[in-house]
Parts: sequence; C-alpha cells; structure tokens
Amino acid sequence: MSVLDVLQKGLTAAQAMGLMQLLLSFAIAQQSLEHLARGDRMIYVPRLLLCVAMGLGFGGAWPVWGLWLVSLAMLWRYQGPYNGGSDKMTMLILSCLGLAHLAPTPFWQEMALSYLAVQLVLSYFVSGWVKVVNPEWQRGEALRDVFRFSAYPVSEGLRDLADRPRFLFVMGWAVILFELAFPLSLLDPVALKLALLCAAGFHFSNACFFGLNRFFWIWLCAYPALIWFQDRIFS
Amino acid sequence: MLRLLTLFLPTVIPSWRFFKTVAPSPRIEYRLIAGESLGGWQEDRPRPASLGVGQILCRMLWNPDWNEQLYLVSCSERLIEAPSQHSIDEINLRVARALPAGPGALQFRLVFLSRQGAQIVKLVEYESTPVSLASLQGASA
Repeated sequence: MSVLDVLQKGLTAAQAMGLMQLLLSFAIAQQSLEHLARGDRMIYVPRLLLCVAMGLGFGGAWPVWGLWLVSLAMLWRYQGPYNGGSDKMTMLILSCLGLAHLAPTPFWQEMALSYLAVQLVLSYFVSGWVKVVNPEWQRGEALRDVFRFSAYPVSEGLRDLADRPRFLFVMGWAVILFELAFPLSLLDPVALKLALLCAAGFHFSNACFFGLNRFFWIWLCAYPALIWFQDRIFS
Repeated sequence: MLRLLTLFLPTVIPSWRFFKTVAPSPRIEYRLIAGESLGGWQEDRPRPASLGVGQILCRMLWNPDWNEQLYLVSCSERLIEAPSQHSIDEINLRVARALPAGPGALQFRLVFLSRQGAQIVKLVEYESTPVSLASLQGASA
C-alpha cells in the first residue's frame, strides 16, 4: 500500500470512535498525571483508572461517561476550565463520544460525531476569522504583542522575537490564512490529511513557544472524527 | 444547578476565539509581611531566561508547573472580570505552596501589562488582604 493509498483511506464510525478513545485515554492520562503531581487525588486517581479502562477497551461506554462526569466535577472544582480551550475540547469530545455510544440508531450516532467534526473545523475557521477582521492582526502587531508582554512565552528569551516584526508579520498571516482555508481541505481526503498534519505542526509550535502541550494532544484526539466525516459526506 | 449549566454549556458550544485580541496580561506579585515589616513585591514564578530544546520536548509530556501558571492567569483574569472568593483562594493557596514554610502573612497583587503606543505599561488592578502563610500552607498540604 502506497503513502497515497493511506492518505486516501477514510474511517468507519466505529473505527473513528475506537481510535478517538485510544488517543483520548493517553491525552487524559497525561493531564491527570500532571494534576496528581499537584494533589487532588480524589478526582485524578479515578480519572486515571477510567483512562486505563477506556484505553484497554473495557466497559464500552461506561468509562467514557465516567470521564465525562469527572470532567463536570473538574468544571465545578475550578469554577471553569483549568486549562482553557484544552479542557473545553476534552469535554466536547467526551460529550460527543458518550452520545455516539448512547445513540439509538446509526443516524444519531453520526449526528454526534458530525457535531464534533464541525466544531473541530470551526475551531480553526473562527480563530482565523476573528484575527483577519482585527486591524492589529492585519498589521502583525497582535503577534508582536503576544511575544512582547503576554503571559504565554515560556521563556524571557522568546520575547526577543517581538523585535523581528517582518518574521512575525509573515507568521501571523500564515496562521490566519491556514485557519481560514482549513474547511476547504474537506473537499479531498488527501488534502484533509495534509491539512491535519499542518494543524498538528501548528499545535506543536504553540506547545514549544507557549507551553500549550495539552492543546496538542487533545486536538489530535478529535482528528479521527473529521477523517470519518470527510469520508461520509464528501467521498 | 444553574451555575453548573453555565460552566458546562461553553464547553459543548465553544466560541473558539483564540487570541481575538491581545488583552492586558496579568502577572501575580506577592510579598511577605512580618508584623510591621512589609517585604518587597516579587513576581510569582518568573519565567526562565531560556529553555533548551530537550527541556521544551520534555514539556510536551510533563508540564504541570506551567499549566498551573496558566490556570493562575485564568484566575487573575476572572478575579477582575467577576470577583469571587474562589479565585482569591486559588491564587493564595498556589502562591503559598510554592514558598518555603515560614511565619507572617502573604499578600498578592495583580499587575496588568499592556501596550500604549510603543510603551509597555504596568497597572496594579487588585491587592489582596494579607492571609497567614502558615494557614495557607497547612490548607494546601
């Protein structure tokens, strides 16, 4: 099987769900171990055990709904997400996966997975849209400000990038154009896989520059839903 | 129940407006108070000057300190937008936990950095009531 054959291959709903659960068990276990280093054993020991059960395929939908309940408890405990968008994406995936398991017919299962796929596309497109209509982003000033004074750069040395306006102007526009063009990749299975590869690279760079490691892992978990969606709707 | 719903709904109907604008950015500063003696303000968990490639790659898998720091940024923003005892307690406990055990009281303040023209300006937007450091460290143990 050539690389092109692999890139053209889609996923069935069952394959997408299985793959998501496997990736999710790793991503949530990683988050939970980080929390356990801080305490909060009452929440994170059960969460870790549920990840192991889900990763090994025990209990069908039960570990998914167990993790959903723990995520709800976390929202209460921290009065919102602990880690912003990555916690929101964790909850979104668990909600859609849980509903896909509960669905009485294949139609409703597909609706749950489609909702996740559409939200994933929106996560890129809306981010691109809010930037492209903002004059600060158009001028490249916004990305300079991120490096100049925001709380995100992981070291003081990285703030020096604010002194390279041309580089940041190009990078800012590259991000905006990629995010806006992302939905077009749904038209072709190979284009989608390449776009997801670029998106993963984008999250990886955010993890390196801004310490957003949890975003990298959790966004990867939703990709199988989009690969299934593209195959189901556009192929 | 309504509160839980308001926390849950944005997770399943997210806005995805990452970095829409670069808003004023909070830093937590703290000082220790022993009787009448006020210590100087110090930045909580200052960033390292630089990180090596190996450290950055390790942080892909293990980054609890930084993720806690990002949570404290969220708490600081929430404290200004919608003040709550929860945000105050979370900041107090987590700042105290990173300090060596000692007598006296801990006080923190929120400094917001923003750009005005070409200048970066600092504005103190919140100053907490001092709390016994020992009691905070006892609560977080």
